[in-house]
Amino acid sequence: MTVGFAPGLSRGHDQNDPPPGVDAILAEAQRLRWEIGGDFHQALMEAIYTDASNIADRAVTRPGERPRFDLDRSIDRLVTSRVWGFPLMLAMLTAVFWITITGANIPSQLLADLLIGKGVPLLHSIAAALNLPWWLSGLLIDGMYLATAWVVSVMLPPMAIFFPLFTLLEDFGYLPRVAFNLDNLYKKAGAHGKQSLSMMMGFGCNAAGVVATRIIDSPRERLIAIITNNFALCNGRWPTQILIASLFIGGLASAQWAGLISALSVVGIALLGVLLSFLLSFSLSRTVLKGQVSTFSLELPPYRPPRVLQTIYTSIIDRTLIVLWRAVTFALPAGAVIWLISNIHVGGVSLAEYLVNFLNPLGLLLGLNGVILVAYIVAIPANEIVIPTILMLTVLTTGVTGLGAGAGVMFETDNSADLMTLFTAGGWTLLTAVNLMLFSLIHNPCSTTIYTIFKETGSRKWTAVAALTPLAMGFIVTFFVAQIWRLVAGAL
Amino acid sequence: MPDPLLALLIGALLLAAALAVFWPQRGLLARWQTRAHVDDRVRTEDALKHIHKCQMRGRRPTLESVAGALGISTEAAARVLSAMQAAGLVNVASGDYALTPQGRAAALHIIRAHRLWESYLAERTGYHEQEWHQQAERLEHDLQPAEVEALAAQLGRPTHDPHGDPIPDADGRFVYHGGQPLPALALDTPGRIVHIEDEPETVYAQLIAEGLYPGMEVRLTEVSPTRVRFWADGDEHLLAPLLAANISVRPLPEAAAQSGPAGVESAETLATLRPGQQGQVVTLSPRIRGAERRRMMDLGILPGAVIAAELISPSGDPTAYRIRGAMIALRREQAQLINIQRLAETTA
Repeated sequence: MTVGFAPGLSRGHDQNDPPPGVDAILAEAQRLRWEIGGDFHQALMEAIYTDASNIADRAVTRPGERPRFDLDRSIDRLVTSRVWGFPLMLAMLTAVFWITITGANIPSQLLADLLIGKGVPLLHSIAAALNLPWWLSGLLIDGMYLATAWVVSVMLPPMAIFFPLFTLLEDFGYLPRVAFNLDNLYKKAGAHGKQSLSMMMGFGCNAAGVVATRIIDSPRERLIAIITNNFALCNGRWPTQILIASLFIGGLASAQWAGLISALSVVGIALLGVLLSFLLSFSLSRTVLKGQVSTFSLELPPYRPPRVLQTIYTSIIDRTLIVLWRAVTFALPAGAVIWLISNIHVGGVSLAEYLVNFLNPLGLLLGLNGVILVAYIVAIPANEIVIPTILMLTVLTTGVTGLGAGAGVMFETDNSADLMTLFTAGGWTLLTAVNLMLFSLIHNPCSTTIYTIFKETGSRKWTAVAALTPLAMGFIVTFFVAQIWRLVAGAL
Repeated sequence: MPDPLLALLIGALLLAAALAVFWPQRGLLARWQTRAHVDDRVRTEDALKHIHKCQMRGRRPTLESVAGALGISTEAAARVLSAMQAAGLVNVASGDYALTPQGRAAALHIIRAHRLWESYLAERTGYHEQEWHQQAERLEHDLQPAEVEALAAQLGRPTHDPHGDPIPDADGRFVYHGGQPLPALALDTPGRIVHIEDEPETVYAQLIAEGLYPGMEVRLTEVSPTRVRFWADGDEHLLAPLLAANISVRPLPEAAAQSGPAGVESAETLATLRPGQQGQVVTLSPRIRGAERRRMMDLGILPGAVIAAELISPSGDPTAYRIRGAMIALRREQAQLINIQRLAETTA
């Protein structure tokens, strides 16, 4: 098909003076337009594309039409086979998580010892030498520095291990096959198979998971993946789940089963998150997001040997450090706020206590308590500091002595007897523990993630939907669990 | 601490109330918005559309038909019509309603807005085709002439909406598609679907479910008072005459037809290929629109392209195809919209 314009047509006429035939030509064009019908744009586009591909076929020679590289084909047959596809996938992912969790423990401990165990006393001695007033050193060191150091030491090691491992699998070409294997499941929820990948990334960090949705090129499915990513239980929430589960739920069983029971309950929470992400994907794709454009295609690139060093470098620079930097910028002010509300007193009572007392009725109605709600409000920058904040606030409000390092100083301890004493003093029950685990899964994303969602979608509306939908769901779930729990417990 | 049973009941009631209010489309809020949206201007515009449609089809618009089309009582319809007469939009002569030139221009503006918006929904959004009409029914009343003009420019001044209806241009000129009802087509001669009526909704939904679209090539094989049997792009369809009459076709010269005598050649789709088999693309269904169509063409799925099936996901869907040297997975619903001609098997 050729499209061209006769160059001589308009020559010889002044532009301001249309030739007599123009009106007739325009009228004829108008008439033909109607005759050709509505499809001609489509047909024209198709013809141009076909022409382009024919030209390419003629001009580009391929060295002797070799069949596809055989190793590729064999790997594909194996990783997408009905028998081995899913077991291989599970094994691969379990390995990634296992390496991350076991590998991150030691550096996390080292960083905590260094930044908190050694850093805080050192800074305090420097502050004392400089004769800083107590409130300034408290605000700077116990507030801002401590919160930041806490986030860094908990967050950095797992991310520095998880992201490079994940990027290596991606680079090798395996991850698109995971999306290919799982797509049918996601299709039923109105989502894209690649959402499985952004979700796995979300288990490391939701902010990174939201960035990872860039691999989904269909606008509707990408928004779904962004909004539901929060239900992947992130790295910052695992410690909360494990601590509460081992204290309260593991404590229900005999000592030999305690570990297994608490591990199962944490896995159960994570699976509940996956289930909720499917349910939310399903309802979003059928309601508020149904008008968004949706196009599916999934490329399965050829396998290639991963470039290990380059991958580690880029994944640390692109993913780990960017997320860490955003977390730090949010942790600094949060540390200041946590310290300030605990140390500013009005009428002999700290602001934190006012807040806790104010939110206590609502917290108790939800099967939680005021301390937990205040902790979730002030620790919005990072889920990592929720438990330290809860511990500090509980000490502050109950007046338990011998724990912690003073008002506004977050702390954590491995001594479960101490923790149980503290929680009992704070009025915690098994219901509080269960609902805290549920609320930790189902609440608004941390501010780092919210900011990332805004950056990725460029829309206040979708950012608000992504932040408020899980929060509302969390309130509804904990409320109903609490009431039914109390009814059943009252009847027993 | 409130009594848990009481709290549970109050909570459940509040949740139910919130759902009843905010439920999309059927909730009170959505209903109230729709109702608040229907005022006298909207009724007038809908009446203009109805009278124009009757005139186009050679039917007589009556007080009852206007009331029926607007879903209001005949008294209310009479009020609307007398207001329209006072505004110089309709002439009433011995019970017949006719549009004045001013009324016709107003009607065409509304029709233009409606059809452009339907085109927009089809090309630029992901709404299901059954929702295009309802959405356009609402929005046609809100679009200002300048907005309609901008919409037309953005869409590349389409001449026809996705149902095949002509879109009047800014001066109100348009050419009717000139098709005849499908059952009136001569047996076993090729024809092309030029229009599918989108009202009433239930009939349209059935036609969509049959996979029928403007642009498809058809051949009638049987017409009886109880059924109409025909081939459309390689598939055989059986419809009640009432449904078939909502499809308009135009005869196609035998030379321009791509299909052979009816039923001889049944086109296959990409979805029928098993791993190791290959085919050559014949056409992309008109159902693949807008962004999705561009994406497919970007991937090289074009008439003449050779595509080989390679892998099936262990969950049964999607299937990976080799297209111009790349492996691309497509879902079954997409593969079903790509018509192919089977080629000899590859040496896998």
